[in-house]
Amino acid sequence: MKRLKLTLLIAVVLAPASPLFAAQSDNSTPNSISDLKAEISQMRAEYEQRINQLEQRLADNESSTTQLNDTIKNTPPAAPAPIANTASSKNSFNPAISMVLNGGFNQYQNNPENYALDGFALQGEGELGKEGFSLGESELTLSANIDQSLYGQATVALHEHEGETEVEIEEAFIESLGLGNGVTARAGRFFAPIGYLNQRHAHAWNFADAPLIYRGLFGNQLSTDGLKLSYVLPTDQLIELGGTVGAGDSYPGGGDHNGIGDWLIYAKTGGDIGIESSWEASVSHWESNPENREYSGGHSHGAEEATSALFNGDTDISNISLVYKWAKNGNFRQQNFSLIGEYFMLNDNGNITHGDDEYANYDGKQYGGYVEGVYQFNPQWRSGLRYDWVGSDHKASDTELLADAGLDGNYNNPQRSSVMVEYLPSEFSRIRAQVNYDQSYSDDDLQLLLQYTVSLGAHGAHSY
Amino acid sequence: MRKLIVLIPLLFAHSALADINIFACEPEWAALSKELGGDHVTVYSATTGLQDPHYIQARPSLIAKARRADLLVCTGAELEIGWLPLLQQKSGNSAIQTGAAGYFMASDSVKLSDVPTVLDRSQGDVHAAGNPHIQTSPLNILNVAKSLTKRLQDVDSANAELYEQRWQDFNQRWQLAITKWQQQAAPLKGVSVVVQHNGWGYLFDWLGLNKVTTLEAKPGIPPTVDDLNNVLNKLKVTPAKMVINAAYQPSRPTDWLVSKTGINKATLPFTVGGDDQSTDLFSLFDDTIQRLLDANK
Repeated sequence: MKRLKLTLLIAVVLAPASPLFAAQSDNSTPNSISDLKAEISQMRAEYEQRINQLEQRLADNESSTTQLNDTIKNTPPAAPAPIANTASSKNSFNPAISMVLNGGFNQYQNNPENYALDGFALQGEGELGKEGFSLGESELTLSANIDQSLYGQATVALHEHEGETEVEIEEAFIESLGLGNGVTARAGRFFAPIGYLNQRHAHAWNFADAPLIYRGLFGNQLSTDGLKLSYVLPTDQLIELGGTVGAGDSYPGGGDHNGIGDWLIYAKTGGDIGIESSWEASVSHWESNPENREYSGGHSHGAEEATSALFNGDTDISNISLVYKWAKNGNFRQQNFSLIGEYFMLNDNGNITHGDDEYANYDGKQYGGYVEGVYQFNPQWRSGLRYDWVGSDHKASDTELLADAGLDGNYNNPQRSSVMVEYLPSEFSRIRAQVNYDQSYSDDDLQLLLQYTVSLGAHGAHSY
Repeated sequence: MRKLIVLIPLLFAHSALADINIFACEPEWAALSKELGGDHVTVYSATTGLQDPHYIQARPSLIAKARRADLLVCTGAELEIGWLPLLQQKSGNSAIQTGAAGYFMASDSVKLSDVPTVLDRSQGDVHAAGNPHIQTSPLNILNVAKSLTKRLQDVDSANAELYEQRWQDFNQRWQLAITKWQQQAAPLKGVSVVVQHNGWGYLFDWLGLNKVTTLEAKPGIPPTVDDLNNVLNKLKVTPAKMVINAAYQPSRPTDWLVSKTGINKATLPFTVGGDDQSTDLFSLFDDTIQRLLDANK
């Protein structure tokens, strides 16, 4: 190899030299031997110089090769994985901890106490946020691999409700770690895999509040206490099938069930369109047979003690969702655009009772959806628009019970339009301003929501 | 129904018959996997040279690819922390779980530099394990290649001999190339440069370039006016020959500095596919050095 290089170098060096020599012999005609001698000695000197240069270059070449070998030798060969903390302290296996802090300022044109969503009985967190300054939900998440086969995660949320701090276990589940063949099993409490937004924590939403249909159907979010099984097919395009079974006690379910209180099946698919676009579509269907679902949003009758109207029967909810995302060059760090749309449809079939003596056969439908588009101009600024709407159709043998349950209203298709702007100082903080034009009850309402959301500790996940 | 039953084994058979499936998180590891695996591997790169590998989302196509992967080849050192754990979780693939044979992190084969002494997010997007952009030095790539060969032999032992041969071949070509690059880059030794993002430590150590300052005062945070003025002041004291930015990053801060100082600009590919010339690992460094030399004129 070295010899080949030498020959090559000599050829390179000599190549320009030969024509020079040829030129010289043409132009000057050597008359005497001394002239010739002088010329030859000059040539020899030149060649010697060239050979010296050549040798120098060769030496340089060799030394740089040894240098390289040294560098390679000196760079640590296949160093072991970064050693975590050899002095094994009891803390070194601490789970990843992250805390999300939230706070804001809300301003409404109407009195938020009067808020209602026509045709829906609002539950729990479905009400409007407190007017003026308020501390939002503070969320603590811990997660870690439990052992070689299980992963665990818990999210505890703290929030103020009517002057008291409430602690809520939002999620607490264990999940199989690479069960293999695309199968994943989960047990515990988790957000039901219905739709797109439902599986995301509120702080990861694009808007400060839930779409009206989420507010109306679930009191913001549907969770399941139970089991989940999912299967990802070995295909190039994502196809995921799965289902859950659960206790069936969270709204719009209700009551204690000895066996399976609710179940859900879903199918999800998605892929890329070129480098810049990607999409995901899903359908899901949930069923339950609520026992004594409480309509806490109902009105009391005069001096009578406020008992809640109750629903018994069968309930099912179907959802379709569609997500499209685009980023220039597929680089989400810079500009990107998301378009998300979902539609829900709930069917209730059973009866509503109130107290001991009021009873009505009841057949109800509630439906609605939202479409939102969000554009990120640059890494620090995003802006978005959302339109959401709901509708309902309630049939009861005694319409008074609909009022008792809070399902009454003008049924004039409540709707809302929202616009938001976000400033993101870093990946871990966000300041958001949102304006809603809310036409979901008697008087149209203009709402201003200002919000900060920050994440402390462990790095969050970049979910699709 | 019968047709479906016939189809199902076919679906599975596809992945069994094919070579081993490699899921590379970044294009440089996809290119290295191809060098070392040749026809025995099918390589998918999760990112392109124009994408910031930190800000990827666990989108559906990635889950589908991770589902069928026999081997993950990623940088590690928390570069993919936002999305790789999600892919492991959602794919339900036991082969690519942390610690499995199919989980290969390139940074485990390299001694990382710039390990922060203070871990505090007020310092910007710091990497606790050290600078993860190891692909900017061919010496690192050589170390990774050596480990990756062993890993390929573990995962696909039937072809162990072939991987050994490919490694020998790559090793020889790569060392020759390194010698060539070092000769070409000799004039760059000791040249002072400014960088937009602090991602070039390994390249500079290799070539002996001298970093004067960084446009991004805090990594990952766009520089403020004050930051940029500080850079200008620093350059008055210690002038630099050129400013370096990566092809996948917006060049605004770099262009600003060029307009202010008339300094040369070198937009480097950063990884395979970062520009049209960088089609594989060899051309990546050919192009990188050429661009540095051009800016050094």
